[in-house]
Amino acid sequence: MGDDAFEAIVAAHHGEIHRYLARVTARASDADDLSQETFLRAFRAYRALPGDANVRAWLFAIATNLYRNYVRGEVRRRRALATASADGMMMADPGGPDGAARVNEASARIQQIVVALPLKQRLAFTMRKVHELEYEAIAESLQCSAESARAHVFQALRKLRRGLEEPAGARMESPR
Amino acid sequence: MSPTHPACRDIRDDLVALGAGEATPAAAQMVEAHVGRCGGCRDELQRYRALEGLVTEFRRTPVPGTDATFARAELESRLAGLRARLVTYGVFASPLGPILIARSLEGVSMVEYLESPAATGSRLARLGGVDAVKDDAQIESLYRDLLDYLTGRRTRLDWPLDLRWASSEFQRRVLQVTAELPYGAVTSYGRIAHEIGVPAATRAVAQALRRNPVPIVIPCHRVIGASGGLTGYAGDKVGLKQRLLAIEGVPVAGDAALHVERAAMYVRHLADTEYCVPTCGSLATTPLARLTLFGSRERAEAAGLAPCTSCRPDLHPISS
Repeated sequence: MGDDAFEAIVAAHHGEIHRYLARVTARASDADDLSQETFLRAFRAYRALPGDANVRAWLFAIATNLYRNYVRGEVRRRRALATASADGMMMADPGGPDGAARVNEASARIQQIVVALPLKQRLAFTMRKVHELEYEAIAESLQCSAESARAHVFQALRKLRRGLEEPAGARMESPR
Repeated sequence: MSPTHPACRDIRDDLVALGAGEATPAAAQMVEAHVGRCGGCRDELQRYRALEGLVTEFRRTPVPGTDATFARAELESRLAGLRARLVTYGVFASPLGPILIARSLEGVSMVEYLESPAATGSRLARLGGVDAVKDDAQIESLYRDLLDYLTGRRTRLDWPLDLRWASSEFQRRVLQVTAELPYGAVTSYGRIAHEIGVPAATRAVAQALRRNPVPIVIPCHRVIGASGGLTGYAGDKVGLKQRLLAIEGVPVAGDAALHVERAAMYVRHLADTEYCVPTCGSLATTPLARLTLFGSRERAEAAGLAPCTSCRPDLHPISS
């Protein structure tokens, strides 16, 4: 029944999809829930995938789509909270309880800027610069053209370039 | 760089691309040429290159506060639940009309005659606790086996079975015994009842076979009434029973009251290792509950039986 095939898919990609979602949501609980949902959806659909399909890109597309839907719902629920709630952001407290997770300061700053980027830029940047996906795959995830995907990444880079020159703690745009 | 200078504006995107290591050779050459004479853009390029270094470091930095282990374990447990409930099915055209074939991870769990190619009114659709996913491609090879069977090119469907929808242990035993009936043979509900050690349960056997979740694969069409009548099949589909028996070479007579002609069938008494002509000894008057009937000598011998040494069906076959 090709069941081993799906176990192999989980083994190969769960960690990365979880990391991706953790980066873009900046919330561990969201990454847990959305990564789980991503693979449950994939489980229902993977039998219909063509044999030569790019499974990794396909999983990114499912995860991205779920997250975008989730954000839409969140925006409706949290209209009152116009800015990202700092309590939900992991990077706001990079130390962790045991202090083991020592995050490089620049990386922490980048994460801070990234979560404040407009959604498509944040997703495109993370897929391209963290997970090194091809623009075609990113375009499929974002349901746009490869050129637009590239433009989103470059926009993100410009904002990072400027953001890193501002003093840390300067007011960020809302991430949602 | 001056944001208003056309030369700077022209290479703006390519400059970011070059800094990010993504510029085409032609674009890279253009930017290199420009920064050779524009100090502002040279600085800008430097900043993007430095940013690329930071981004590379960012990529390698683990996301703090996240551990996928727990999420993975929970996912595995939910997948296990889904796998147990998952049934994939396909609907195909067959000489007997549209047929649905469904299977779980363990094996084929349902074969169903449909009124129309839409599975909406199917028994599968009415079952609870099932995650039914239509996947014709996954079921295709089973369908090919079935077509071979229905056109006489195959005499067995050696599929792994999942009898999860057998409603009771009794039904499960009835199905298991019925599964052993050889190709081209028929017997009575009474014989099955006798086989499972409940000789009085003829009607219950008939009921159990009426709800056979995997007809054809478990050949309930080979089980008939005590008088030889085909009685029922899959509700009101006794015509299908006749056709299935015809494929196997079992002669069925009558228009309104379809029945198997005992006089045209070779006979095995109980668990004998021999087969006889129907007139051997007292066989002509022996209740069908003690007999298995074969449509041809070939079928009896394919089932491992030898010709009877007294009536010698090999020397004196039934004359048609």
